[in-house]
Parts: sequence; C-alpha cells; structure tokens
Amino acid sequence: MAEYKLLTKDFGADGLQTLKGYEKVGGYQALRDAFKKFTPETLVAEVKTSNIRGRGGAGFPTGMKWSFLPKDVFPRYLCCNADESEPGCFKDRYLIDESPHQLIEGLLIASYALQVNTSFIYIRGEYHDQRLLLERATEEARAAGYIGKNILGSGFDCDVIVHGGAGAYICGEETALIESLEGLRGQPRLKPPFPAIKGLYGQPTVVNNVETLCNLPHIVQRGGEWFKALGTDKSAGTRVFCCSGHINRPGNYEMKLGTPIRELLEEECGGIWRGQSLKAFQPGGGSMQVLLPQHLDLPLDMNAVQEAGSSLGAGAMIFMDETTCLVDVSMRLVDFYRHESCGKCVPCREGTYFESELMHRLEAGQATLAELASLADICSNMDGRCFCPLGDTATWFVMSAYKSFRDEFEAHCGAGRCPVRAQATALVA
Amino acid sequence: MTAVAETGTPPEQPDDGRVGISIDGRELRVPKGTLVLDAATEAGIHIPIYCAHPKMDPVAVCRMCLVNIEKFPKPQPACATVAGDGMVVRTNIPEVTKIREGMLEFLLLNHPLDCPVCDRGGECDLQDFTFRYGPGISRFPITEKVHFKKAVPLSEHIELDQERCILCWRCVRYYDEITGEKEIVLQQRGVDTLVSTFDDRQLQSKFQGNLPEVCPVGALTHRKYRFVSRPWDLQRTASVCPECSYGCNINADSRDFEVRRFASRDNPLVDDMWLCDRGRYSFDRWNTSERVRRPVVRSDDESRDVTVAEAITQAARRLREIAEEYGAASIGVLGSSASTNEELFLLERLARQVIGTPHVDHQLEPFDGISAAEHELGIAEIEECDTLIVLGADPEEQAPVLTLRLYKAERKKGARVIRLSSDATAADAAIAASGATRIGLIADETNRAHAAAVATALGAVGSVRRLTITRGINGRGAKDLGLLPNVGPAYAALAEPGKNGRQILEGLASGTMRGLLMLGPNPALEAESELLERAVRKAACVVAFDTRPGIVSRYATVLIPGHAVFEKAGSVTNVEGRVQRIRAGLPPASATPVETRVLTTLAGLMGAVGWGSGDPLAVNRLLRDESPAYGRAGNGGRALFTAEAVA
Amino acid sequence: MIKEIAKGLAFTLKKMGTHPITVQYPEEQKPVSPRHRGRHILHRYDNGLERCIGCELCAAACPVGCIYVLAAENDPKAPISPGERYAERYEINLMRCIYCGYCAEACPTEAITLGPRFEMADYRRERTVVTKAELLESWPGFAQGQRPPSPVGAGADQTGREDLDPGVRPRAAWAAQENTLDHQTAPHPGDLGVPVDVPTVIEPGAGKTK
Repeated sequence: MAEYKLLTKDFGADGLQTLKGYEKVGGYQALRDAFKKFTPETLVAEVKTSNIRGRGGAGFPTGMKWSFLPKDVFPRYLCCNADESEPGCFKDRYLIDESPHQLIEGLLIASYALQVNTSFIYIRGEYHDQRLLLERATEEARAAGYIGKNILGSGFDCDVIVHGGAGAYICGEETALIESLEGLRGQPRLKPPFPAIKGLYGQPTVVNNVETLCNLPHIVQRGGEWFKALGTDKSAGTRVFCCSGHINRPGNYEMKLGTPIRELLEEECGGIWRGQSLKAFQPGGGSMQVLLPQHLDLPLDMNAVQEAGSSLGAGAMIFMDETTCLVDVSMRLVDFYRHESCGKCVPCREGTYFESELMHRLEAGQATLAELASLADICSNMDGRCFCPLGDTATWFVMSAYKSFRDEFEAHCGAGRCPVRAQATALVA
Repeated sequence: MTAVAETGTPPEQPDDGRVGISIDGRELRVPKGTLVLDAATEAGIHIPIYCAHPKMDPVAVCRMCLVNIEKFPKPQPACATVAGDGMVVRTNIPEVTKIREGMLEFLLLNHPLDCPVCDRGGECDLQDFTFRYGPGISRFPITEKVHFKKAVPLSEHIELDQERCILCWRCVRYYDEITGEKEIVLQQRGVDTLVSTFDDRQLQSKFQGNLPEVCPVGALTHRKYRFVSRPWDLQRTASVCPECSYGCNINADSRDFEVRRFASRDNPLVDDMWLCDRGRYSFDRWNTSERVRRPVVRSDDESRDVTVAEAITQAARRLREIAEEYGAASIGVLGSSASTNEELFLLERLARQVIGTPHVDHQLEPFDGISAAEHELGIAEIEECDTLIVLGADPEEQAPVLTLRLYKAERKKGARVIRLSSDATAADAAIAASGATRIGLIADETNRAHAAAVATALGAVGSVRRLTITRGINGRGAKDLGLLPNVGPAYAALAEPGKNGRQILEGLASGTMRGLLMLGPNPALEAESELLERAVRKAACVVAFDTRPGIVSRYATVLIPGHAVFEKAGSVTNVEGRVQRIRAGLPPASATPVETRVLTTLAGLMGAVGWGSGDPLAVNRLLRDESPAYGRAGNGGRALFTAEAVA
Repeated sequence: MIKEIAKGLAFTLKKMGTHPITVQYPEEQKPVSPRHRGRHILHRYDNGLERCIGCELCAAACPVGCIYVLAAENDPKAPISPGERYAERYEINLMRCIYCGYCAEACPTEAITLGPRFEMADYRRERTVVTKAELLESWPGFAQGQRPPSPVGAGADQTGREDLDPGVRPRAAWAAQENTLDHQTAPHPGDLGVPVDVPTVIEPGAGKTK
C-alpha cells in the first residue's frame, strides 16, 4: 500500500474519540514534551525547521506565518479553521471524527508556541456532530487539566472555545472567519492590516487549518528535521487527500508528499469505475484548475502541481471519467460560487451571477459563440480583481476547462441540449 | 525604493515625512500614509470611486479604483493602498480601462436603469462614470434582472430604492463611522444582498439627511426632494445654514425662485460635510409667500404704503423728534441674531455714534461678564482635546452637528466625551475629567455662567478651552460687534452699561422709553410676543425692518421690508467666530434696497458722514477696517478676541 | 422677338387647360408630410395612462429652453403614468420653439412627438404657451365612458389628423378644444417669476382701525 500513515496511524483504535483512548495510544505526550523540551521561541523555530506548509489551501509556510506576530503584543489569538467547505473536501471532518484530541493537542501546542491564552476552533455549521464531539473532547481535556490554568504544571494557561459557524463558505477565508467569530457578517476584511498584526478583536491572530495543527504533535515528538525529510524539498510531510468522483474506492487517504498521483488513483482509489478511463481531474477541490490524464504522473507536491497550472489546494481529488460533461461540472461549480459569494465586492457578486447565468445557457445549448467568448472575458474581468480569493477562484475551473476542452464548450453553443450527455446516454444504451 | 535606485535618483532622500510617487508619469511627493487615490487627485488624475469616501475608512469593495502598480502582481485598489516611496502607478493603460469597463458592466447587470425617473439622474456617479469609462453595451444575454423593492420609505425623510443600490456600503459605514448609530444593515448575500434597516424599522437618527449625499447612486433619496427638480434646473448658491449658529456650509439649491433643498458644502473646519436633519430640511421655511412686501408709514389714524425713500425720511425725522423731545437715551436699539454682520455693524454705529443711545441689545437675557474666552475653542480644535465635557443636553440640541464632531474626536482621536447634566457641580466635572490634560468645555448660552465656574474648577486638572453655543444664525456676530448693553464692539467694557433687551421693551411698555429702532426678524423677541406687543403698541415711534407679517409689522410706525437670508449678501459669524459669507440666491420678495443701504441712508439723514454707499461688500470692508479681529478673519477665518490671538 | 412672344403665348395656352396649383388656404388644406415637425403631441398608452413620466429630458435636450416640466409622484392607486413619476405640469412655449425635434429624440418613453399641425398663430401671446392639457392626445376610452385615468382630462384631439375631413377647418376644432380648457388651473411659466405683483399681505386697515 502506498499510504503513509502519520496523522491517521491510530485511526480506528478503540475509543480514540475519548481522552482515555487517545492517551492509550500516546496522546498528549507531545504536549508534555513541548512543555519540557521547548520554550515558545524554540518551538516556533522547530516548526520553522520542519518546513510544514499550511494545509488549508494556500500552502503558506506555517512557521513563517507564526513569526509575523508582533513581539510583546498581547493578548494574541489562535483560530483553528475547521470551516471546511471546499467542494470535494472532507479531510477535516475525518480528522475530527476519528481523533478530536489530536486536534486539541495540536492546538494547545500551537497556543504554547505563540503564547496564546485563548484559542478558538471555528467549525462550520453543517458539522454539527463534529462540533458536539469537539465540545465533549474539550470538556474531557479541561477536566484532565490539559485545558485551563497552569496546564500540566507548566505555568501556561490556555482556554479552548469551540464556535460553530452558520454554514458560509466564505467564512473559511481567514479574515471572514475572524469577522464571523466576532459576531459580525461573515465577509472578508480589508488587508492590510493582516490578521497577524490586527485580527480578532483588533489583536494579533493566527488562523491555522485543522490538518496543520494535527501535524504539530508529530513534529514535536519526532523533531522538525525528521518531518522535513518526509516528503519533498518544498512540500514536507504527509497530506490527507479526499478522493471522490468516478473512482472505485472514494475516501480519505494519507499520502507522503511526492508520491505520484497515479499511485493514489490506482492503488488507493482502485482506479476509475466501471472500467472507464479518466477524462480530467481536479487536484485541489472545487476551486482549482482541471488537470488531464497526462498529469497523473505528477508527484503530490504543491510546487509541481502548481507548475502544471493547478494547485493541491485543500487536498481534494475529484476524478472525472469520460462520460463527464465539463460544461456541466463548470456550471455546477459556478452555481456554488454564486450561492456562496458574500456580496461584498462587485466582481464576485455580479460576476458569479453573470457567469452562472451564462453557464446555464451554455449547458442547455442555448448560448451563442459570442456569449462563450464573453464568458471568457467576464472571467478575466473577475480573476485578480476581487476582494478575496473566492471571486478569483470562481473563474479558475471554468477557465482551465475551457482551455483544455474548448471543443466541448463550443459544441454546446447553439446545440439546444448538452451534446456530451446525449453521447453518454447513447453509449450506455 | 529599488525603483528610485534604478532610475539613478540618489536613494538618500532627506526624510521630510514624504514619499515620492509617480502616477501616469507625473512625479509628486506626498506625505507618508497618503492613499494612492488622494495622491492621484492631487496630481489631477481622476480615479473613479464608489465605495471610497473622503470622510470614511476605505473598504475597497467596488473595485472601480483598481490601478496598476509596478511590482504588484495584481491590480491594487487606489482607495486602500498607501503610497510608498518609488511607487509607479498607472491608470491610463488598457488593463485599467478594461477593469473599469468590466466593473461597470457588472454594476449595471442588475441596476434597473430607471434614470429618467430617478432623482439622482444628472448627478449620479454611476451615470457619470458609465458615460466616462463604461463599456457602452452589456453582453448579458438575459433581460430579466434581479428585482428588489422600490420606493421603500425608511423614515419621513428618506426613501430607499433597493434595486438602484450598488452595495458600496457607504450608508452602512456612515452610521458606523460618522454617527456611531447602527441603523442600516446589509441583508442576504451574494447577488441577493440588499440594503435595509434591521427588522424594517424606521430610521431614528437626527442625521439621516446625509445619507442621500453619501449614496453614490439614487438608492437613498430625500423624500422632500422627491421628483422636485433635476440638478441642471437648480441654481446653486453657496451659503450658510440659517438654522443654528454652528454655521454649517451649504449650497442652497433653488428652482423657480424657491429653495428646493440644502446640500452640504464641505468645510472640514466646521461641518466636515455633514448637516443635521433640522437644518437640512428647514429649507421650505424660506419659500413662504407670507412676506412684508412694501414700506409702510403709520401715524395715529392712518397707515399707508409709501416709497422706501419716504419711509427712510420719515424714520429719520421721527427718531430725531424723539431724541430731541425725550433725549437720545429714550430710544432703544435692538439688533437680531438673524441679521448679517454688516447690518449689525451699521446698527451698532447708528445707535451709539449717531443716535447716541446706550440701550443696545440683540436679545432679552442679560449678558453679564461676557468675555471672549467663552468662544475660544474652535470646532476643529475639538479633535485636539483629550477630554470633552458637554454641559447639559442643550448644546447638542441647539447645534446638532456638534455631536458628529464629538463622535469623530472619540472614534478617531480616542478622546473622552463626558456628557454632564447642566446642573452638575464644578466639583463633579473636575472628578469626571480627572487625568485629562487638554479639556474642551462646551455649554450653551443659558449655562454660560455655570460653565465659567466649571472651567475655573477644571483649570486645576488641565488646560481648558470653552465653546459656547450661541443662538440664532449670527448670535456670535451680534456679540462680537457690540450689540450688547454692557460691552461695545470687540467686548470692550463700557463705562455706562445700557438697558438690556427686556428692560428696553419693559421701558417702552411702561412709557419710560419712547422710541425703538429694530432689525428683524428677531426670534428671541417673537418668543415673548405679549411683552413685545405691549412695547410696540405703547411706543411713540417704532422703526422696524421685518420680513414676515407679525406683531412688529402690524404696529411699527415705519416699517421697511427686510430681506430673508437667501435674498441678501453679507457675512455671518458662527459659534467659534468663523466669519462666513452668505450670498443672494433668491430674488428679494420686495423691491426695497437691502438693509445695509437703508441703514446707511438713514444714518446719513441723521447726520452721519462718510458711511459710503451701503453696499454689503463696501460695508464689509468698512467692518474689516474697523474691527481688527474681523480684518484678520477675512472670509472664512476666525475672528478671535483673546489676548493671544491679538498678539 | 416675335418668335419669343409666340413661344410664351404657346406655353400659356398650353397651361390654360390644366388645374391650378394654388390651394385656397385656409378653406382648403394640403396634407403635410408624415415627417412634418409641427406642434407637439403628448401620447398615451393604450390603457389611457400617459406616456410622459416627467423626466425632463426633453427640457434638457431643448436647445432654446422652451419646455418646462414639473414632476410629481404617482398615487399608486390612481396612477397617471406607469411607474413612480409623472409630469404634473408640462408646458411648451411655441413662440420660442424651433421645432427641431430634439425633445422627441430625447424622450425615453416616446411620449412626445412633433405632429402635423403648423398653425400656431394666436392673438394672445400667453396662449402660445401650451399646457399639458392642450398637448395631451385624447383617449378612445373617454368616448366609451370609461373613467379618465388622468385628471388633466380629455386633452386635445390631435390623433388621426389624416382622418379629419379636409374640409373641416382646424381652427374650429381648436376653438372647441379651447372652450374645454380651464386656464385657471393651467398656469403659465410667466406666473412663476418674482411675485412682486402679489399685493401686500399687511391688512391696509390695520393701522386705521387702531
């Protein structure tokens, strides 16, 4: 098996969701080690050494993000971003479901490194069960002295607050998450000032992804150098990939970074279903550009995928077989962005609406070639012009699909129906 | 910085707190922290904006102002990007043109395009920028737009059209940042986002009238101005709001010789471009047809319409008769806080120098111990104070825009605003202000004696400057120019104080005084109508200027039609001593010359020499020669009478 | 010489048998071109609502400033025009108008057009300033006894000029129309000037009775 289990190695162990079960597999040992072996400064340095990059999508080096905090400005806040709403992405839910304490331990380690006395877990509204699970886990940890005053006799205080969102995709953007956490309308804030300088309640704030934080206990226990050696030069460690689409075994698979995508598809996912062939895949969730079968030999490496014109993003692999209509997929994704646009900036609010109306016409075969050309222009008017990445990413899939499957898009124009679906139906019949 | 080095300019610039920036090839140096948008404006380059507002913090949501900046991977919003040294900005390249066309196409997707029935048509940023930068056509294939509610009344003053809204956030931010109230919210999200009030409540603010002005389109409009006029029909007259003494700068917009609205005219030192609803919606008061239109002379048994010349001659003759028969001290002279400085200046000279009476006033209450220190604190200087004490609710009721300045000091400068009840003791105030260094004390006229006592007590805590909210549009000018019984012009002490307004009226009513020369309309006197009526009926001679029919016009011996605020030129002085011009925007309701001319002629007939033509501008020159403080103030400056100001 | 005279006489003789070109105006009238730009007409929709929404774009486009429009808000229960706004007053100074047709060009609702009527002379100068009542086209619904949608009333019958019997003298039709007009309720822009002629409001007797 090509899987390399680091975060998920104990998953499935008896009672891992409870404190007892977690402690049985060595849980909270990393937190003790962190207090014993590291000062906050050396801990930050260790995380820097590990070269770990954020797992939320942008892939920004976590150590560097931490070092942006201004010295001697307190209180500071740490937010765990569990507002996982990217289409095709379900790794955070898996990590929380299987081992909530691993996240809490990671969160506490990060809080210690950053000298944060109040940490938040912002979890999306639809993850109701996971929220209850986390709330129970924090209660347990608090009762056991892992959360609260003078944790494990280290003299470090930290409180963890689980906060449920109301189910808005945009709240996964860090400034929107902060706004929402403050009780305001979930919309991104103007940067600068960046959250590291002025974030939650006007104080320095770090926002980290669930998976990033879950890595911390392992970095503390095994050392930054060990972690750095794992994976590739630019992408250290492992990542949990959420595989979905037309494959035989969809699910979460933890892979060492650098493994070829083909290995993930063929060995873990069991290949494309029904013996069909791969038409295209998205390596990073709904936002990311489409890749083609020839890209299957790319390594699971953030830079390599980026060079191919896409991104590993939040680690959601969506595979599409030959019967898929890329226009249909684009339309559905654009509808998602239209629905989730917060409405703050013009190009995203009106652009996603424009895009979605055009895509509906195109999929129905009513659009003209001129409209298709204007679609491309609309996308270029949105990309890079929006307030936050939501509007930009709303164009990425459409544009890459249009570039790679131009004939398919053009075949839709004036066809009166979706030609690909018609063909697929014919094939099945 | 590297850009500077590359172009060969020495990188070691003297640190003068400025940065060098190039916009479309124009090099300029701007203070550090200047936004690219402001720098462009300074360079004379227009960048279209919707969400940015000069008085509010940037939000950068409309994306209209995106410009190309060298070394930035993406176009940056000019309204939120701080100019850096060596920054090279371009707004005249195809990329920026395309951005603007794209944004306007987006904005117009769901805009109803009902410009023909929109009150904003003609002065709408969306129209103007579409015309200037827009794409000309829409490529949107669907004709049906997203519809929202039209013509929603938000209050008695404001109407909301949710379809026209381009969601620039200005109204929401106006409440957040300028008034500190929260009344307008955004609801829903994405393309369904709409502006509304929470729970459809009515707006309560005293400053709603500013909303249509901050709105860049016709989403928020004045209900009183609904379909009244087109902007190109309006005649614009730069003037000063006649509702209170705060002196907010306005444009009085008139059509068909009636004032149709007051629009704000930004003066950062006074109003900061905000008006209160009381002032803004008082415009139709000046459109009344109930006016005094002809000079009237009355004797015991007859009343006849006369020419102005005859009225003036009669006035001079009758006043002289009274002075000869009963002595000059039997004549009282009453100015008004609604008159211009020029009129008050002439009236004071006429009273004290020509007629020779000491009984001069402009209101009823006695004003003992008045000094220039009461008006020391300037409006803009409120922001310099770290603690602001407001005595009683009256100052903010009388001059509502003051509230916004206090909130600005609180929000932007972190000042403490302490509102004390008007009967709070000096000791209370000192305790409340403990820890303060620069204190601003704001009170109204009725509490001025108490405010003086509080100021003395606060002197032990920190430096104190006072601001007294005077009454009437020109209450401050009347005091500066000596329309007071106990002090002369420039607060010069008088050897023999005369009678105050109430005493003059009582004297007339009881017969101890005989004659009255008064400049109207005088709201202070009209409030005491019973006493006023007794006085003018009993008086042997009442020479009065008035604009509206009332007690005075009914009984005056010689009545000369006055000019209302928008019918004459002149200057008025606001609470902080700022001398501001008012201009004639409406034709006068009567054919009589302006008051200054009439007063000059009257003085000439009574023996005065060298008063000039009486033209308001000429009188203003005389006034500036005569009063050094007003000379220094000029037009728009502050007339200060404190020792430091003179030195 | 004689040759020329004979030639001229021959032409005269030839023309003697033909119809004269001269029309006995005003008894007879020649039809004007359909594109003739004459006196303005304010149109209605089929349901009787006025097309004019009082946007004043005609006034803005007018090069001589002969159009005066004062808008007002429609009562949603009894609208005069579709939408929020209608023209409460609409006046054109026909003496000043140059009949350029820019108003029709500027109109967003095609409410104003220039009609076939060209006889604008009048003995009273103020009557050449025409009001909305005079400009508005009539509505067939009136004839069927329907409730008038507009308080302005029937308006001048200017539609279907070509249907009119050419023998009918237009002036007679105008006279009939003028009789229906209430000049009291249709003020002229001249009244909007400085109200210096309004008598003083001070009761003349106030001083005497004392």
